[in-house]
Amino acid sequence: MRISRRALATAAVLATVLPLSACGGSDSGSSDASGKVEGKITFQTWNLKAEFKDYFNGVIADFEKKNPGTEVEWVDRPAEGYADKISADAAGGTLPDVVNVSPDLVAPLAKAGLALDLDKEASEYRKEYLDGAWKSHQIPGTEGTFAFPWYLNTGPVFYNKKLFKDAGLDPEKPPKTYDDVFEAGTEMAKNSKGKVAALANVPAIEDFGRYGVPLMNKEGTGFAFNDAKGVELLTRYKKLYDAEGLDAQALTATPESAGHKFLTQSVAMNPGSALDLANFKKDAPSLYKNIGITDQISSTGKANMYVMGVMVNSQTKQKPAAVAFAHFVTDKTRQMQFAKQVAVFPSTEGSLDDPYFTKQDGTDETKVRIAAAESLKTAENYTPVLFSEQMKVELKNQVAKALQGKQSPKAALDNAVKTCDRLLKQS
Amino acid sequence: MKTPTAIRATAADLPAEGASPPPPRRRSPRGIRRQLPTSPWLFAAPGLLVIGAFILYPFLSTLVNAFTDKRTLIPGEFVGLDNFRELLHDDMFWIGLRNSTLYVLGVVPALVLLPLLLALLVQKHIPGITFFRSAFYTPVVASIVVVGLIWVWMLDDRGLVNAVLEAVGVGKVGFLSDQWLLLFSAMGVTVWKGLGYYMIIYLAALANVPRELHEAAAVDGAGAVRRFLTVTVPAVRSTMVLVGALASVAAFKVFSEVYLMAGPSGGPAGEDTTLVMLVQRVGTGLTGRVGYASAISVVVFVVTVALMLLVLRADRKEDA
Repeated sequence: MRISRRALATAAVLATVLPLSACGGSDSGSSDASGKVEGKITFQTWNLKAEFKDYFNGVIADFEKKNPGTEVEWVDRPAEGYADKISADAAGGTLPDVVNVSPDLVAPLAKAGLALDLDKEASEYRKEYLDGAWKSHQIPGTEGTFAFPWYLNTGPVFYNKKLFKDAGLDPEKPPKTYDDVFEAGTEMAKNSKGKVAALANVPAIEDFGRYGVPLMNKEGTGFAFNDAKGVELLTRYKKLYDAEGLDAQALTATPESAGHKFLTQSVAMNPGSALDLANFKKDAPSLYKNIGITDQISSTGKANMYVMGVMVNSQTKQKPAAVAFAHFVTDKTRQMQFAKQVAVFPSTEGSLDDPYFTKQDGTDETKVRIAAAESLKTAENYTPVLFSEQMKVELKNQVAKALQGKQSPKAALDNAVKTCDRLLKQS
Repeated sequence: MKTPTAIRATAADLPAEGASPPPPRRRSPRGIRRQLPTSPWLFAAPGLLVIGAFILYPFLSTLVNAFTDKRTLIPGEFVGLDNFRELLHDDMFWIGLRNSTLYVLGVVPALVLLPLLLALLVQKHIPGITFFRSAFYTPVVASIVVVGLIWVWMLDDRGLVNAVLEAVGVGKVGFLSDQWLLLFSAMGVTVWKGLGYYMIIYLAALANVPRELHEAAAVDGAGAVRRFLTVTVPAVRSTMVLVGALASVAAFKVFSEVYLMAGPSGGPAGEDTTLVMLVQRVGTGLTGRVGYASAISVVVFVVTVALMLLVLRADRKEDA
């Protein structure tokens, strides 16, 4: 009797390692965005303090100087678990006043009424930003825009010229479209007897977008990537996988592991950003000697872009100061300053025409920057804002089943769409 | 033993001179009874508060949430057994249950037996044995993330293990691309990391086995294997049960090793997902389904309790 009671108590304690925190209530906001800019606000960034401490301290000091009576407390959160941290804060009613977000993070916060609608509260700023960037924080089925667009990012595809040459391919003619990729990948696998794969990743939602597959229906109420074009893309990936043109560990790959495969020269191509060049130079000099840079693979002629935003918490008690600061961080001057600190691109109107993004100086870094800035003019954010992390995992797992031959590409995509639609309704 | 309160009470009640002797008194004056019930609680209060806030409340909260459709940002409504009904039709839940159960079946026997053999090896007092004891214990103190990454590098297609296998003519083995090999590789890491911990527990138990028993068995002609089976094993049987119980619970709740080696998607097509990985996947993030994840947590709890009771019941039967 004594033992089993102890056992039960132990099991009870052990079982509680899986606590799931409760949602908290929140107070309503108190002020109008057009009031006096004053008071103390909190600003949260996403893994930026380690590299850009001086830059952000400068921005905050400038804002406080321009708006006497304001005080900005800056908090920075690590990249790992950032969404979970925001979830906990949102649920506990401790969400900072101004928060660095991506569109997929904004969507649930907006649905829960925690993101300020800028079309209502700060519409005068809209004209300062690129139209596509402003729209990137709009949620299908919900009226409004829920974050200031901040920096944009896109990147080229890096390829290993030596591996191309060894496989009998012309290193000066890298693939540009998916047709080229499938052809080159099959050839490379055949010539290297399966030792070198073209790619380290299975197709993600952005690949479907760049292949020209409609991702959602027109109303934004359901996913549509299981149409004929989507099935065609997955069927072609299956052929590439069977020919060993995809890395053997592609089914479980993450962006980090795929990057590692490229670094160790076991895959020939990998998408990246201008930031990666410095890493290649430092960590893999032999790869750097053979590095080739080309545009993103796209059959639509448009590159994929990633958008960062700055959201204002609708429950903030200092709404004028929070809106003013969110705008200050993302205005043309600050965005240009930030773009010169790190390889990102401003989302403000006209900034991409600055000589910094148009004038060559002969270095690889500038070449990548100019090419990326050029592609951003027509780029699209191919990740639907309503496509959650769990949906990404569902799609990846269904794609893996198709590649393994456990089900047909059509059935895999039908299942993925069915599950994603269910998750969309439940969100 | 008298407390100061008891002494005061006795002095105040001293009878006047010449008065008739008072009736015999109970040993527990009322003052003591009044004080005692609160004092232990006051001493225990800090611990109880911590347990209440960080264990009991989350546990009860999880139980309640399991019967709601709560999301991360949306308070839930009572949905009865809907979450549990959905579990029955969720393929990923059955995959998780299968993998967690396989993990128990694969890891527990190894963690009950191998550390005992290791403890027998390092129990001997020979020069330099402390080095080996420390070496075997090192994986226990190493971070699971670091350990996981090291094993991922070693088991990679181009890692150390595959290089050796290719060199000896076996050829490449897809440790990290085949669903079963991946699960078994993760089990191997769990066993490797846990060996030292359970070895220490066994070392303590072996120190209590009387040497005379071994000597008597040896005199009777028992060899090393016979002495192990008839002397050592019965003497440390209760420790083996303890190790079995601890390892079963830990194995059923496995997360880190599989997550690190199979990736967030749970291996190829999610086939290596465990139940706790599923809880993490569906219950976290801004769109997390807290109610459904809680229902899975409740299943984990029930199975965990059942595993403990099973092991302890087996132990009692042996005792009888």
